[in-house]
Amino acid sequence: MAHFHIQDLTFQYPNAAHPSLENVSLTVEKGEYVVLCGQSGSGKTTLLRHLKNVLMPYGKRSGSICFDGTPLEQVSQHDQAAKIGFVMQNPDDQIVTDKVWHELAFGLENLGTDPKTMRLRVAEMASYFGIQDWFHREVCNLSGGQKQLLNLASIMAMQPEVLILDEPTSQLDPIAASDFLNTVRKINIELGTTVIITEHRLEDIYHSADKVVVMDQGKVIACDTPRKVGQLLWLQGHEMFAALPTPVRVFYESQGAGDCPLTVREGRSWLTAAFEHHPIAVAEPAPEPAPEKPKAPALQVKEVWFRYEKESPDILRDLSFAVPAGSLFAIVGGNGSGKSTTLKTICGICKPYRGTVEVFGKPLKAYKPKELFQNGLAMLPQDPKSLFVKKTLREDLAEMSRDKEAVAAVAETCEITKLLDSHPYDLSGGEQQRAALAKVLLTKPKLLLLDEPTKGLDSFFKQKFARILRKLQEEGITIVMVSHDVEFCAEYADLVSMFFDGQIITTDTPHRFFGQNSFYTTAANRMSRCVFRNAVTAADVAALYRANLEGKP
Amino acid sequence: MRLSAFSGPRKGIFSFMRQDAFSKCHPLTNFVFFVGAIGFSVVFQHPLYLAASCAAGAVYLVLLNGKKSWKLIAGLVPVFFLLSALNPLFNSYGERVLFHVFGKPYTLEALFYGMAIAGIFVAMMLWFNCYSAVLTSDKFVCLFGSLIPALSLLLVMVLRMIPNLMRKARQISDARKSIGKGAGETDNFREKVADGMNILSSLTDWALEGSIVTADSMRARGYGGAKRTSFQIYRMTARDYLLLGFSILLAFIVMFAGGTEATYTPVLYIAPPGWGLAAYCLYLLIPSLLHGKEALQWRISISRI
Amino acid sequence: MRQSTLFSLLTCVVLIPATLFLGTRLHGRWYYLTCTLVIIEVMIPFFLAFETRKPQARELVTIAVMCALSVASRVVVLIPNFKPMTAIIMITGIALGPEAGFLTGAVGAFASNFFFSQGPWTPWQMMGYGFGGFLAGLVFYRKNRRRSPVVLAIFGFLTIQLVVGPLLDCCTFFTTGSKLSWKYAAAVFGAGVPYNFKHALACALTMLLFSKPLLGKLDRLITKYGMMNTRLEA
Repeated sequence: MAHFHIQDLTFQYPNAAHPSLENVSLTVEKGEYVVLCGQSGSGKTTLLRHLKNVLMPYGKRSGSICFDGTPLEQVSQHDQAAKIGFVMQNPDDQIVTDKVWHELAFGLENLGTDPKTMRLRVAEMASYFGIQDWFHREVCNLSGGQKQLLNLASIMAMQPEVLILDEPTSQLDPIAASDFLNTVRKINIELGTTVIITEHRLEDIYHSADKVVVMDQGKVIACDTPRKVGQLLWLQGHEMFAALPTPVRVFYESQGAGDCPLTVREGRSWLTAAFEHHPIAVAEPAPEPAPEKPKAPALQVKEVWFRYEKESPDILRDLSFAVPAGSLFAIVGGNGSGKSTTLKTICGICKPYRGTVEVFGKPLKAYKPKELFQNGLAMLPQDPKSLFVKKTLREDLAEMSRDKEAVAAVAETCEITKLLDSHPYDLSGGEQQRAALAKVLLTKPKLLLLDEPTKGLDSFFKQKFARILRKLQEEGITIVMVSHDVEFCAEYADLVSMFFDGQIITTDTPHRFFGQNSFYTTAANRMSRCVFRNAVTAADVAALYRANLEGKP
Repeated sequence: MRLSAFSGPRKGIFSFMRQDAFSKCHPLTNFVFFVGAIGFSVVFQHPLYLAASCAAGAVYLVLLNGKKSWKLIAGLVPVFFLLSALNPLFNSYGERVLFHVFGKPYTLEALFYGMAIAGIFVAMMLWFNCYSAVLTSDKFVCLFGSLIPALSLLLVMVLRMIPNLMRKARQISDARKSIGKGAGETDNFREKVADGMNILSSLTDWALEGSIVTADSMRARGYGGAKRTSFQIYRMTARDYLLLGFSILLAFIVMFAGGTEATYTPVLYIAPPGWGLAAYCLYLLIPSLLHGKEALQWRISISRI
Repeated sequence: MRQSTLFSLLTCVVLIPATLFLGTRLHGRWYYLTCTLVIIEVMIPFFLAFETRKPQARELVTIAVMCALSVASRVVVLIPNFKPMTAIIMITGIALGPEAGFLTGAVGAFASNFFFSQGPWTPWQMMGYGFGGFLAGLVFYRKNRRRSPVVLAIFGFLTIQLVVGPLLDCCTFFTTGSKLSWKYAAAVFGAGVPYNFKHALACALTMLLFSKPLLGKLDRLITKYGMMNTRLEA
């Protein structure tokens, strides 16, 4: 018997012009690992929320949803709470109580579990998830990854049969994200819990899915094994193809022969096999044009030391780097290594106790208050919501500039003209990001700082965002970006720096930078380094593959 | 004058594993003790009782908070003298006139009475600070969770949100500064208020938006269904019962042994202390003795290694 | 009769008079304990009503957010002693009703003391802030009267200067005074006037600038999610 059986589900929000779900039919078997993908706004979240009565959105609905053969509305609230676990996107807001132990017990308390069973279940979960070390901690002192793990654990404590996860890692850094997804996988394999998950970052989960469901504008357009779905999307020329894992993209873009690889390992063997008896004529992508005469740096950081409190350890230690004017300069590095602090130091929010920061050749100290931020420097914060203070986007932008034409022009650049009268919180993540960027751009900056700009964006929004950055660069704006997203940096940055232990270790062009690294590099590079050199994007690898195999009989 | 000025923000209030024996006892034992300690301190005007309470409170506070507590204790000394000296200005009963202020007699009895009142105040501050350090929020919830389940859940949620909002407020303020919008130290009153209101507005939006997710998360985990039970992280052990019984016993002795009477104005009368005082001292020293005993045991066990 | 109403009646008719009676019969410093007990007993009906209603998740979360917001608001404005706390509590009362206003104030004050220190002031603060929120709700909740910021600002100013501030000062009066004398009361409450004035001014300014947006936000939430209707009126 199917675990979930959805038949002809159609749903429309009140006041919406189109249905958000249209004739969706889907069957999820017991113990399956189902990956649900699609662009933002394709109806993934709406569909997931239909799998639990208390989360169902208000609106017009038809069709049926059965859980274990019973219509969902007939399954008692108690059973739904216990058997269907739901993990949401934001790690912070899902947490209800102030202590880790209390959060773990929260669901069980609601179910009226007796104290003895509760003790046991909580202890079990804490051990299974490795939480015992921070069992007594305050929730507010946990990292994002720990918080999301706690959310998962507190749901698993109720021993659900199905685990539904709605973009659970979009707010996490890559290492925490893959830890989290591995845990989910482990639950699926070891406990047989059915998993239904949506994700932007398909790299980590695509290969292990039993079933991949692709949604587009409220319809299910594909529902099959990962390999078949890859093929289908390629044949359709669908936009979602760009979101698939690198090996799949390389395979189809290079028109490769054989079985489609899903993981880096499979990709390596596929490439090795393809070139086993074939000489490699072109081993690396065309070298990047030699940098023009080094321009005057827009930003120069010289031997900066910083710590937050007198007694605390140094966050920045002897940090030095220079950003050439007009370039897109990316800083990559681990979590908590001080990248965001670097940006704050450049803004003057954190004051270094040694060293200087020069913006356009003038030390920060020489700027008058706020002079720096007029036609000078501006930063887009990690959470774009931090910048919204008004009821509508229009009012928010008006706070920055009275000039209506300037506002219209910036809105055009950031592709938010249609959204100007919405409440900032009614926008999607990608739209919020661009709206915040518009606000920042109204200061007419010449140096733009971006803190994790691609966090939580899907591949489609990332491309859009990249286009905007290119446009800004053409206008002569220098961009410094701090990011975890190596794939994004590899594709769009002019220079990439590695940040470690409070300083910048090395700076180079993306090809040379990621070509040299063996761990901290893109999937395309990891996959192709056995045959090619310095190929860092899927397009690089595909181009080399074709260049080498063309002319082959 | 606002009293809360006498307590600075305390770091580490949430540290669960405080190495204090009494703090590790069951919340009920803690609570009953503090009700007694604070209640007695407020009611007894007898100088010896007050001195005992102040001394025991100070000792326990130092054991609990170490260096930090000296600041508070040092701060209370001038308060003691100020309050003592102030009382005769409002209370001119008494026989032994020291001098006249604004034509009114300033009497020795009233001064003594002032000292008693100030002593009560100091004792109360000391014991309340101990109370705050020992009875953390989770202990409070453990005590009252089943009596007032909705309110204690509300409290727990508020305690969870406060640090979150504080952090977000800082983030918003930083974000505004980095586009040249926030108010700095140099700005005038008007700009500071305007900027504060903008931050508050943004913070409210953010918090209310998050609250919808929180409510969903609660309902998704079955809140509002069956009758709630509560997870007990503390258990009454034999030692807890023993301590509880012992403190109640001592409290009864203190109450009924007498010798606590003291009046200051118009006539000075101080009852001769009896067994009650001894019981009172013992009562107040329970946490400190427990702390000392455990510390000593550790010393011994280390020296054996 | 509902259980909570019964308990509330019992508290008002039996418990409080009994405490007062006992308090007056005892000599010495018992009056301090008596007042504190009465203050706590006065809050019981409010709390009981909330408990027996079994609040839904959204209501609980919204009140929690408003409590936390009122506490966190003290770090928002860079001016020392400029605390918008009371204004936020009052606005909550206006938007969500007197009971929610009371809870926000009382729980907010109690929770914030976990970050500073509990003290003899705790019950008085709970009562003071809670009553501020209650009063604002009583006057303005669900009234078709225009809730103009100026009116709210004047209301906020007067309430703090005349009610909330003096309630907070009561604690000082009872803990530091030797006798319940009018002279000492005048001294304590007189000394509180400038302090309360600052407090009231901050509240009035916040009301003037922020009451409209905040009420808008809360109303938006209420209409968007249709919560708290009917339940709070019962």
